[in-house]
Amino acid sequence: MKLSLTLAATLFATQAFAAATVGAPAPDFSLTDSNGKTQTLSQYTGKTVVLEWNNPGCPFVHKHYASGNIPKQQAAATADGVVWLTINSGAPGKQGHLDSAGAKAFVAQYHASPSAYLFDGNGKVGRLYGAKTTPHMYVIDGGGTLRYMGGIDSIPSTDEDDLAKATQYVPQALAELKAGKPVTVATSAPYGCGVKYGP
Amino acid sequence: MQARVRFAGQLFAMTKLIALSSSLLLVAAALPGSALRAAEIAADHLSIELVVDTQTLVPGMTAWLGLRIRHEPHWHTYWINPGDSGLPTRVTWTLPPGFKAGEIVWPAPKRFAVDELANFGYDGDLLLPVPLDVPADATPGSTAHIAALAKWLVCHEECVPGKVSLTLDLPVGKLAEPAALAGQFVTARGAQPENGVWKADARLLGDQIEVRVRGADLGDGKGLDAFAEQPRIVANTVPKVSLRDGATMLLFAKSDYFTSAPGSFDLVLSRPRARAIRVRAVFVSPNPVSMHPVSPDRISSNAAPASPHNGGSP
Repeated sequence: MKLSLTLAATLFATQAFAAATVGAPAPDFSLTDSNGKTQTLSQYTGKTVVLEWNNPGCPFVHKHYASGNIPKQQAAATADGVVWLTINSGAPGKQGHLDSAGAKAFVAQYHASPSAYLFDGNGKVGRLYGAKTTPHMYVIDGGGTLRYMGGIDSIPSTDEDDLAKATQYVPQALAELKAGKPVTVATSAPYGCGVKYGP
Repeated sequence: MQARVRFAGQLFAMTKLIALSSSLLLVAAALPGSALRAAEIAADHLSIELVVDTQTLVPGMTAWLGLRIRHEPHWHTYWINPGDSGLPTRVTWTLPPGFKAGEIVWPAPKRFAVDELANFGYDGDLLLPVPLDVPADATPGSTAHIAALAKWLVCHEECVPGKVSLTLDLPVGKLAEPAALAGQFVTARGAQPENGVWKADARLLGDQIEVRVRGADLGDGKGLDAFAEQPRIVANTVPKVSLRDGATMLLFAKSDYFTSAPGSFDLVLSRPRARAIRVRAVFVSPNPVSMHPVSPDRISSNAAPASPHNGGSP
């Protein structure tokens, strides 16, 4: 993360986003998961990590779970040794905020298979990464460098019908990283509901 | 006609997702004798109807169709660039052969801030006008069946997607007569940004983008806001405004998703107590000797001109 970006953002926003930057080291974090375990980014050094911002009440998230799109991507990625961390930055009292039991029920309901479901109720990690929407996706390589950030796919909509025509950016980036190729689409416009941050 | 049909949208509960298999598509067909507006559909947090500004479609002329959206208090729908989240309202048309609908001519948006996220859109009573070209060989006395599939996202803090099919049967005739809602189309045109002869250029300054606007009366810059039509160029926060050598300078943070400078981008500038304006900001190099920028004099207007339709304006 560039310090200059942080400063620029501070100039213009009352509560600034300090966005992560593709090609730069992804900021480390420490969050508690739905099993009460502490999860840090740095513990997965050497592995490719996907971060997925989640709000179970958001219709865009619903599109990608009810259709099986995200669960399918999770299953394929984790089977390939990728760590998939689903992060909920919804503040207590806001839409989509979950407790451990709620997170487990959500995962079970959609046959999802993230490596862990993490809680970020104070929004610290979401703001650190500049996560604006649900879903909002990040791919970090084994060296800890951010290689992709942006939307889940190329067609912003809540319609499941659009999935067949859309390019799914995370599987594309993962396949390219695995093959040692450059990530062709390294950023895309994130789309979805706004992350329900607290004050 | 104010017939209301309950629209079954998707409800997204606070923690528990109530998954409906698919959104129910409703068709609001105009009843005989009520050709000028389709039934108003009550959806989640808004009502929507298809309206037209003329009682008769005249061959060879342009009429204006409109999506009229009335929002529940505190709920909003989105502009062509929705900002940090959200989705623009979309409409796809099914028209008789030879008829052609244009793009939505967007009114200037409002800024909605939810925590630190910025969104651009509309609340209250909204009309999204769309020009309809009537073919010269349309037969007077015939009826044109107009069908629109509208999709939107309505949000307060939470968001609900909506989708509805709306239809209108309109007579083709030799003379246009303004419809009852024609006045609202006039109001809607006043809410659209004005395309003018103003000149604007943009420069990359590290993590910021500076836009210089010349020739527009933007006063002392107080209360000025700016909205980029194209996403991924400037951040969606309010720019810092200053005056320099008779020009208005807008200093934006660069978008987190900026990759490279496009040739130009379009800004809607809203001013207090005055009509919004639209300028095309042409990117120039910080060192103009090193490249050949597109002439900043060229301001094209790719929005449909805000011209009155075939004689229907009061």
